[in-house]
Amino acid sequence: MISFLRRIGNRVLFRLEGLGRATIMWGLAMATLPRKGDMTLLFRQIYSIGVMSIAIIVLSAFAIGAVISLQFYTQLSRFGAEDAVGAGLALVLLRELGPVVTGLLFAGRAGSAITAEIGLMKTTEQLSIMEMMGVDPLRRIVAPRLWGGIISMPLLTAIFNVVGIYGGVVVGVYWLGADAGGFWSGMQDAVDVREDIVKGMLKAAIFAVVVTWIAVFQGYDCEPTAEGMGRATTRTVVTSSVLILALDFFLTLSMYGDF
Amino acid sequence: MQQDYIIEVEDLCFTRGEKVIFDHLNLKVPRGAISAVMGPSGTGKTTLLRVIGGQLRPDSGKVLLNGKDVCTMGREELFRARRDIGMLFQTSALFTDMNVFENVAFPLRVHTNLPEDTIRDLVLMKLNAVGLRGARDLRPSQLSGGMSRRVALARATALDPDLIMYDEPFTGQDPISMGVILTLIHDLNEALGTSTLLVSHDIHETLSIADYLFVIADGKVIGEGTPDQLKANESRRIHQFMHGDPDGPVPFHYPADDLRFDLLSEVE
Repeated sequence: MISFLRRIGNRVLFRLEGLGRATIMWGLAMATLPRKGDMTLLFRQIYSIGVMSIAIIVLSAFAIGAVISLQFYTQLSRFGAEDAVGAGLALVLLRELGPVVTGLLFAGRAGSAITAEIGLMKTTEQLSIMEMMGVDPLRRIVAPRLWGGIISMPLLTAIFNVVGIYGGVVVGVYWLGADAGGFWSGMQDAVDVREDIVKGMLKAAIFAVVVTWIAVFQGYDCEPTAEGMGRATTRTVVTSSVLILALDFFLTLSMYGDF
Repeated sequence: MQQDYIIEVEDLCFTRGEKVIFDHLNLKVPRGAISAVMGPSGTGKTTLLRVIGGQLRPDSGKVLLNGKDVCTMGREELFRARRDIGMLFQTSALFTDMNVFENVAFPLRVHTNLPEDTIRDLVLMKLNAVGLRGARDLRPSQLSGGMSRRVALARATALDPDLIMYDEPFTGQDPISMGVILTLIHDLNEALGTSTLLVSHDIHETLSIADYLFVIADGKVIGEGTPDQLKANESRRIHQFMHGDPDGPVPFHYPADDLRFDLLSEVE
């Protein structure tokens, strides 16, 4: 019994220690705001993390928007409420699916790449030699990726929302024949800038912080072996995905829950 | 007035988990000379370099670099102090997203405000010194092990540091690369007037180049002196190490039960 409790205690302490290290690293990296000379590094990361993710975001958004529109139209047309397709599509995308799916795709595409890149740099002692040259890897390697992710993901979410709505228009209006005027005016009536767009983007910003934080920490803290890198990359995707889904519930509860 | 020693390690204690790596270790590295730390594998030679570079904090003791204690330095002060140190890792640790030229230019770009044409000239001079001016556009993946180490050496000397530390510079090198690296370490030390500290277990190469040697084992310095002094040392442990005897105070066998007992146990 005592050894069982000790094992649990050790595991809890180990997790807390990891959380402490992650928090210190995040604090130090966030405190190093990009300086004038670091802007090239930041733009390079925005390109690599954000711009290179656009293709997967656009494809996924179009498909998801099309499917939602198809499902809404099929169900709502039974009651003659096709005009509500636009409103439903926009609210689902802006409030939930935009930030959540972008976060999940971002974790899978950019998060795993960040972890693998930093992990490989650690394994090949590139981070150590940087430290020995008097260059802080937190400023040079971690901070640009952290800020690059935090800037990129909300923008990717905006792209996701726009393309998703367009996907819904293509299926709902152009293919299934819903009335375009009803579609757009329904959407215009239903969507509130502060309630839907701003709160959705706030979610995206929170997910961006969480995913990039996990990704850079897992890379920076990974065991410097091939297995260690593999485990770290897996942990980035799994932990980020679970946290995004869990956080989404609580954020939705606090933003839209009326209790 | 300059001190006689560039590094002074005093009463250094360092443990990793249960294992004691350094137990009140003391050594002083002379300024301007090529000094070498030798010892069997696993005695903490690389760890010693990392402690001197401030990458690992000891449990107790002092590591004075140019008279300042590395162990008590804050983060910013430590990064500033490291600008006077060049380091060559066993893996070369070249930046894989940069070509050879950019690797050598990296410390100059980060730590100086030199104009681009001056950086270009300096990098080409450094690369020329290691014989790789013609390889400036190659990527690290296109270099052999020996070439990578020479590029890393050029990068380590880019800022003309006071101290250059080499971690096992001869490991895994063919005879020609070995000869080139030996010559480069010696010539760079002479030409730049730097102090050199290398850790190695390659006895012949190290003896041929070092002015002063430290032999460490069991967390302590068990012998030190010039190559001739160490060769003449009558301590059994130093004799075993210097002559590469397979058995002696450092046993050939890892501690184990009696062989007969082990074999009989298997039969049962």
